[in-house]
Amino acid sequence: MVSEPISVIKVRNVLLVSMPADPDDSTVAALQDRTLDAMSKHDVRGLVLDLSKVEILDSYFARTVAETAQMVGLMGGETIIAGMRPSVAITATELGVTLGKTRTAMTVENALDLAGQAERKVKARR
Amino acid sequence: MSVEAQTIVRGQRDVVMGLTPDASMELLQILVDNIKEYAILTLDTRGYVTTWTPTAKRLKGYDADEVMGKHFSIFYPKEEVENGKCERELEMAAREGRLEDESWRVRKDGTRFWASVTLTALRDAKGNLKGFGKITRDLSEKKQAEERLRQQGRDIMEMATVPVVQVWEGILLVPLIGMLDSARTQQLMERLLQKLTETASPVALLDITGVPTIDTQTAQHLIETIKAVRYIGAEVVLTGVRPVIAQTLVHLGVDLSGATTRSSLAAGLRVAFSLMNMHVGASNGNA
Repeated sequence: MVSEPISVIKVRNVLLVSMPADPDDSTVAALQDRTLDAMSKHDVRGLVLDLSKVEILDSYFARTVAETAQMVGLMGGETIIAGMRPSVAITATELGVTLGKTRTAMTVENALDLAGQAERKVKARR
Repeated sequence: MSVEAQTIVRGQRDVVMGLTPDASMELLQILVDNIKEYAILTLDTRGYVTTWTPTAKRLKGYDADEVMGKHFSIFYPKEEVENGKCERELEMAAREGRLEDESWRVRKDGTRFWASVTLTALRDAKGNLKGFGKITRDLSEKKQAEERLRQQGRDIMEMATVPVVQVWEGILLVPLIGMLDSARTQQLMERLLQKLTETASPVALLDITGVPTIDTQTAQHLIETIKAVRYIGAEVVLTGVRPVIAQTLVHLGVDLSGATTRSSLAAGLRVAFSLMNMHVGASNGNA
């Protein structure tokens, strides 16, 4: 099976990363590498992780998402998870996934709005 | 019945039966051919079709020349034939005199219909088995009506178990009443997540005013639901936390600090509005 490519796009001041429906382990591993790589290359405030296509969540994928969010945090960025499906959310609670301070949004659009609000607050403080 | 009465009855019957045997047979034939909703046919002792009527054609779709001499298993679903239902039914009807059954039957075009079937053993004056009479009635409509009723019942039950009401654009209210067990909280989680995504609502008010007590397990389930709602990008406000519930939760050591909780539904609604950046107040200019 050819693994579907993950798309990593820079939108305004964040990275938008979309996951395919049923990612295999190598795709999941690539998610972390590509994201962290892009974080270091682009001057962005954070990451919007689009999970709206994802239908199945396994423990490896869940752990990688949580870890990546932590790593992005260490690199000074905020992660917003967008579009998680109900069935995936139930699996996530069953797996005991903890997202810490990671924020969530129902759609990518909402996530971009959230990211924009955070940015405006920072600017206002200056 | 007295002798006179019997005579009168016989006399009356003779008047009714004033037709010649042929003419009465003809009337019977007309009845059999025209009776609606029923398919009437006969089988030989081994179950091969020996008489076919227009009513049978109407119900099952076969023409007489297609079906005469065929085994009656062609009217049954394949899996029923394989487990020997046809043979069992013939044997039963022969032993008991008749057999009634309600189950699926198959038309010529392969479609199924829900049928009530009566199989009657036909014996001559000496009691020798001559064959079987088979009367099939199409009960699809009745079956569908029953199914609709059952579905309505299920919908009402589901609504009563986990009622989800949209109270504002983007705000769902779940007024829970009665004890929460594991099965119900599981349903609550699934239905709430489903409704939140369906209606694209970012806030859910989970009202537990009508929940008499909470134990550790229920609290754990509620925490999981709150988490799952957060994963899909929405927020739960737990309302109706009465003093006794607050005391129980603290004594049980349940940590709900991650969740927004309020004592009244009204206070919860205010939280919901502020989460959505909406301001509600009297329009007297200083709201």
